[in-house]
Amino acid sequence: MKQVIMLLKPRLWSFKNRGIANEGNIRFFLFAGIGIIFWVGIFAVSHRVLVYFQKVENFGDILAFKLLSMILLVFFSLLIFSSILTSLSKLYLSKDLALVHVLPVPSEKIYFARWIESTLDSSWMVMVYTIPVFFSYGIVYKTGIFFYIDIALTLFPLCIISSALSALVVLLAVVLLPASRIRSIFVFLGLAVLIILYISFRLLKPERLVNPEAFSSVLFYFKDLSTPSSPLLPSTWAFDSLKAALTGNNSNAMFHLALSWSGAFFIIFVDIWVAKVLYFKGFSKTQAALVRLFKTQSKGFNIFFSFLDGPVRAFIIKEIKTFWRDQTQWSQIFLIGALIVIYLYNFSVLPFEKSPIKTIYLQNLFSFLNMALAAFVLTAITARFAFPSVSIEGNAFWIVRSSPISIRAFLWIKFFIYLFPLLILSEILIIATNMLLNVTPFMMYLSVITLFFMTPGVVAMGIGMGGAYPDFASENPSQSVSSFGGLIFMILSAAYIGIVTILEAGPVYTVFMSGIKGYKLTYLQWIWVIGSFLIAFLLSILAVILPMKFGEKKLVVFQR
Amino acid sequence: MIYLKNLSKHFGNTKAVDRLNLHILPGEIFGFIGPNGAGKTTTILMMAGLLEPTEGSVTVDGIDMASQPEEAKKRIGLIPDRPFLYEKLTGMEFLMFTADLYGINLENFSEKAEKFLSIFSLLDRAHELIESYSHGMKQRLIMSAALLHDPRLIIVDEPMVGLDPKGIKIVINLFRELSSNGTTIFMSTHTLKLAEDVCDRIGVINKGSLIATGTISDLKEAAQIKKGDLEKVFFQLTEEKNDS
Repeated sequence: MKQVIMLLKPRLWSFKNRGIANEGNIRFFLFAGIGIIFWVGIFAVSHRVLVYFQKVENFGDILAFKLLSMILLVFFSLLIFSSILTSLSKLYLSKDLALVHVLPVPSEKIYFARWIESTLDSSWMVMVYTIPVFFSYGIVYKTGIFFYIDIALTLFPLCIISSALSALVVLLAVVLLPASRIRSIFVFLGLAVLIILYISFRLLKPERLVNPEAFSSVLFYFKDLSTPSSPLLPSTWAFDSLKAALTGNNSNAMFHLALSWSGAFFIIFVDIWVAKVLYFKGFSKTQAALVRLFKTQSKGFNIFFSFLDGPVRAFIIKEIKTFWRDQTQWSQIFLIGALIVIYLYNFSVLPFEKSPIKTIYLQNLFSFLNMALAAFVLTAITARFAFPSVSIEGNAFWIVRSSPISIRAFLWIKFFIYLFPLLILSEILIIATNMLLNVTPFMMYLSVITLFFMTPGVVAMGIGMGGAYPDFASENPSQSVSSFGGLIFMILSAAYIGIVTILEAGPVYTVFMSGIKGYKLTYLQWIWVIGSFLIAFLLSILAVILPMKFGEKKLVVFQR
Repeated sequence: MIYLKNLSKHFGNTKAVDRLNLHILPGEIFGFIGPNGAGKTTTILMMAGLLEPTEGSVTVDGIDMASQPEEAKKRIGLIPDRPFLYEKLTGMEFLMFTADLYGINLENFSEKAEKFLSIFSLLDRAHELIESYSHGMKQRLIMSAALLHDPRLIIVDEPMVGLDPKGIKIVINLFRELSSNGTTIFMSTHTLKLAEDVCDRIGVINKGSLIATGTISDLKEAAQIKKGDLEKVFFQLTEEKNDS
């Protein structure tokens, strides 16, 4: 154990030093503030739901316990998925592994130390953000202190079991396939399962539950709720313990807790035993170079983009090739594709005919709100692709800095590379949804023109903020969206979309109603309409220029 | 070819480079030696336009790096000590990227790229991803890319790190050939034997200051050593400075 603790020390020291470096840092307070808001929000929502359930006669407890069982199952599944990715990185792909493996320490001890790190990394966030849910159970059910102790004692073995099971899967898989391929496969599969689940849920049309005609089927559903979950699932052991503690049956809670802990210790034992045989074998295999999956012709791209200026062509080709050859990026495409499909599907099932409000008014109101919504979808896509595009240069950024290309030109090239595909995408989105909504030509033109002017602003914010807050050391730059710069980009983009929407709302309503009711606008109304659109237009120009200048200024001084 | 005037770089209270003055002529191979942390890489980064000086100026081929960085960079080929590249490109694609970046005529590209890849024994691996290259192969690819646009000045930080004996021989011969054609080579190195064999002049930097410059015999004179190689001169000069 002494050697395992020794192996964990660099991580502990780094964490301690990071705390010193960040002291008084505005970023820390910003993230902590957002974290607390989320925490309180989760608590408030779950407390409200549980209080509501308590009011449902006969079914209140059944619903609350079913919800608890589902939360634990989701908790367990999330942990399994995140642990697979974290343990793959920690055990096989981290850059410091070569340094660790030359130490005179048995490989199973290296494995164990790495597994502890992986467990902490993959579990802490899920743990922190599910605790308010469990707390709300304690408060609603007015439990004693034992329930709160039981929460901690139950969740720990659940984290350990999920992490150990994932590590076991990884240990076996790496012997068969290279680690980096497995990561791509798991990310891809995990996302596929998640998206299929969501789409199937959406296709079930849960909104029908509010329809009294369908209520009889709900009663059948309630009957199913009392069916217990599989006793072989570790989440069931946790559920049984928490349920017993909630109802005051402490001895029963202790029994299920003991079951969880014994399961956790057993799986750790199995893990270490398997690691003794397989860990080094897998690590050794990971050192071998990868074979390319697909081969593309270099000259084809060059001929296709031959009309462009040399540096622009250089970056476009580099960006396209790097993107398609990096399998971790494929999952992003998949995710965005699913987001768009769901987005379009939601518009196709809007039940206008059942609404008491006039359909033409509602369709155009939706179309107007849809502009903002499409801009938010655009922000999400920009955050995933354009924002990390500077960080993606990584350690090779010296090539750009030593080349005869200014930082300004570099950022503008990046801007145009992402602007055109994103502009086409956002216009397709807005036209397709407007066609589904069957809106008036005025709303169609307005949406198309607004998006045409907003897209450059959103993309410029992504590139500018990505340049201002680059993370060249990141192993996965597409995750940099969760960084400080990513957060600033999201806030700025949301504010920009919000202001443009507010600026256009009043004038659009006035013009639209004058068209429906057939009256003419006064001069004052015309001045107001033109003035608002002019301000929105000027704001869109500033949204392009200011972030790009800010990004340039910060990136130039980055190495001063 | 290159003129450093009162070049300084301060990081907080630390003077990484302090009022460095240097003039290197066209076709000269200049060796830049000094202990770890002496300011060699900082000087190189400023010369290549990757780091802004706190004071002073860098002039390349008569062009001021601060006011016309793009023009100055067109004349430089930088070979850093650590070969960080775009790992998802092939060797040939990286050379094509460099050619586009430096505005090299694409008609001559294939011929030129193949020439350098062949010189550095990379031609048969040119269509493989860079991520599958060894450290030495990456270093050789960077050298090919740095020479592709016919730079007037080549700045090299530790040229032989990661190279095998064959690679070292290729680089030495190439530097000599380039120098005879008028290309200036500024080479920072810890390999004193290499500096002694290849360089026309050598500069010794210690604690951010240039403490001696000249031919080997100039340096011997400065160190007051009559017999001995560059290693002896180096220790004498740097230890003298440390003692004072």
